[in-house]
Amino acid sequence: MNCEVCQLKELDIEHFEIREVLRCILHTVLFHRALGLVRPKDIDLELFEITYVQCGDVELERKIDEKIDQFIDRVEKHPNKKNQICLSFYEVKNKQATWFTNKVERLYWEQWYINLNVAQHPKGISGKSYSSKVVVDPGAESRSARRAALETSLRDVLFQIIRFVNEKKDHIPPIPNLEGVSFPYEITISSSSDSAFGMDMLKRMLQTGHPTMLS
Amino acid sequence: MASYHGNPHSEPAKMEQIITEFFAKSLHIILESRSPYVSSRNYSGEQVLSSPSPSPSSSSSSSSSFRPRDKWFNLALRDCPAALENIDFWRQSNLEPMIVDVILVQTPLNFSPKRGPARNSSSGKDRHFYGSDTDEFGSEAKSEKIIERWILQYESKKSAGGGSSTSSSSGSSSKRSGNTSSHALYKKSILLLRSLYATIRLLPAYKLFRDLISSAQIRLYNLGHRVSSFVEPFTRREEADMQKFVFTPVETSCGRLCLSVLYRSSVLDLSSEPSTPISPQFIQEYVGSPMAEPLKRFPSGPISQSSPSSSSPFGRRHSWSYDIYRESPSSANPSPSPTYSEAPIHRLPPSSLPRHLHDDTSSVVAHVKNPSYDEYWPSPMFSPSPSPSPPTNVTGVSHMPKAILRYSSMPSLPNKQPRFDQLTVPKELFTLSKDEPGNMLGVKPSSNSSLSFQDDSEFSGAFVLDDEDDTTDPGSRQGSFDLACGPHTSFPVKKSQDAAVGALVHMLKKATPLHQEISVVHHMQEDTTATTSSNLALSKTTADAFEELRLYREMKDSLLKQGKKNIPQA
Repeated sequence: MNCEVCQLKELDIEHFEIREVLRCILHTVLFHRALGLVRPKDIDLELFEITYVQCGDVELERKIDEKIDQFIDRVEKHPNKKNQICLSFYEVKNKQATWFTNKVERLYWEQWYINLNVAQHPKGISGKSYSSKVVVDPGAESRSARRAALETSLRDVLFQIIRFVNEKKDHIPPIPNLEGVSFPYEITISSSSDSAFGMDMLKRMLQTGHPTMLS
Repeated sequence: MASYHGNPHSEPAKMEQIITEFFAKSLHIILESRSPYVSSRNYSGEQVLSSPSPSPSSSSSSSSSFRPRDKWFNLALRDCPAALENIDFWRQSNLEPMIVDVILVQTPLNFSPKRGPARNSSSGKDRHFYGSDTDEFGSEAKSEKIIERWILQYESKKSAGGGSSTSSSSGSSSKRSGNTSSHALYKKSILLLRSLYATIRLLPAYKLFRDLISSAQIRLYNLGHRVSSFVEPFTRREEADMQKFVFTPVETSCGRLCLSVLYRSSVLDLSSEPSTPISPQFIQEYVGSPMAEPLKRFPSGPISQSSPSSSSPFGRRHSWSYDIYRESPSSANPSPSPTYSEAPIHRLPPSSLPRHLHDDTSSVVAHVKNPSYDEYWPSPMFSPSPSPSPPTNVTGVSHMPKAILRYSSMPSLPNKQPRFDQLTVPKELFTLSKDEPGNMLGVKPSSNSSLSFQDDSEFSGAFVLDDEDDTTDPGSRQGSFDLACGPHTSFPVKKSQDAAVGALVHMLKKATPLHQEISVVHHMQEDTTATTSSNLALSKTTADAFEELRLYREMKDSLLKQGKKNIPQA
């Protein structure tokens, strides 16, 4: 079993855009990995002219929003520039030798890294309101230009996801069940300074056992 | 998984079934998000803006249970009659390629809901009816443009003919271990369809679709589609404007399943048109049609069935009833038939026309090609010049009285003399069109939108039924359609822009005796040989109008006399 990794293109976003952008990306990936019976749901972004698809799983939606909250929290506490969210899919294998310790092994077969560069607002954090206020000031034009650029980039990321899904099909394990979100997944957040970033990853790899080591 | 699971059939048969269903599902996905009629999004509040807590129920809009068809590829889709009908035709075609063209039709009045696909594509010869060339009737301010071309095909490795894939695969698949290949094919098909589903919402044309179905604004474009099994190549220039997205083919033991799309990236430029000068003109026209007025005129007519319910939110849907009315003459009114034969119909065999017209799913493209059809559109753009009408115009302009007659549920009447009851219509037109468009829109929906609304529920009901047994019975569909639009409350009226008409209308406005309702009603009741020729009035001079007016007076008098005689008997 090999683990496919997809590093999604980095996005320069502002604080108020985090939620929409993350929802859009996470749900898009999960929709492509929810191979059970789903009834898709179209969602129009408020900030961008983009429609993405959810797989209509309320529990999944809740989990994603929870993780996004965590992420926003981290961004506020550690206003460093590199922020990464990793969405991983795995299979659960009971380790023979240690089954009595209730230790289960996660065999990761796919990881998606969402790279966000959250801009630091000079005015500080504008709370949770992510409404697109039309402010008449000289910056409005450049802001809308920035918004358009971000929309294009976000669209690119979505296409990147679709291309990846298209190209890599062989590593996906058999569909375990008929429920919408068929594979176990986890969403991890790494919001740390550049230097500590690698360490964090290494720690996580050691904890979970990197799939490539296991394969 | 799906129904092939546990299917005793052989591996190749399973694979073929998967491939067939893949085509069906793909078509369903494409049309569901390109054919504005059954909008998956306003089906039942499905269109959720990304909000922190979408309602849990929104995921299962129409029904919480999954139908058998939903289980294919584990993807539950909303009803899309257009897809159902087209796939029926395709199923008979032995895994031929499937080409779905999405066509942008730009015209101020082309509001055909495009529920139905190119129905004509169900038979080979009719497919030629749809050309991508749009300039055949270049004078019409209407353009159609292929903005997306989806190509699905199964490339068989062994055999040349797609139809023999079953036999060819039986040999090759035996080398592989039985079920695994069909399992793999199925899983990859699921993935590919998920991609398709997400991708189609990211392409530029989706915005057009979304605007079409979601806004109450009147759009100057519509989306049509055409499903066929051959590629009508683009010109070099056209192709230069297109971008291509190729989904990774799904390899099977005996071939590969390919899906790709050519799309126009500049589609969005075209959509920003609602502000063209045509639009106010159109609204006036639209509103000035007798849709609202006959309500007053014939309050006891069939229109009264339509409840004066909710109006504005359904603004966009008015188009549906427009479409209904474009279709209706063929079935309700025998008189237009001569028009069809004398109209410059190209490429379409006359024999297939009636079917086409009766077909409530006829496509936008069809209208484009068929001028006689266009005559039923209330478009100033398509109106013939105000100069005296050429012979072919007679029926074309005459639908005003037809409309009236329809309101009173009278049979259609042959062309004889102009009559005053018809001439009252222009009068109403005139007064109405002086009002603010907004007001007018306020009036009209009372009859119209409620109708459309009914249509909606009726349709879905009918099609849900269709879904259950997965059959496509045009007859039954037609039936429900007729039921839904039963009261023909609205009929487009063409208004000549000639100033003479205005003068005439003014005159008639003053001629008070002419629109006493009682006389009108008498007309309708008494005279089955009445006329449908107010068109004459539209194209004549004031002097002519006076003359006609005099004739009308005489006629009215005589009819009133008749009426007096008859009323006691009745």
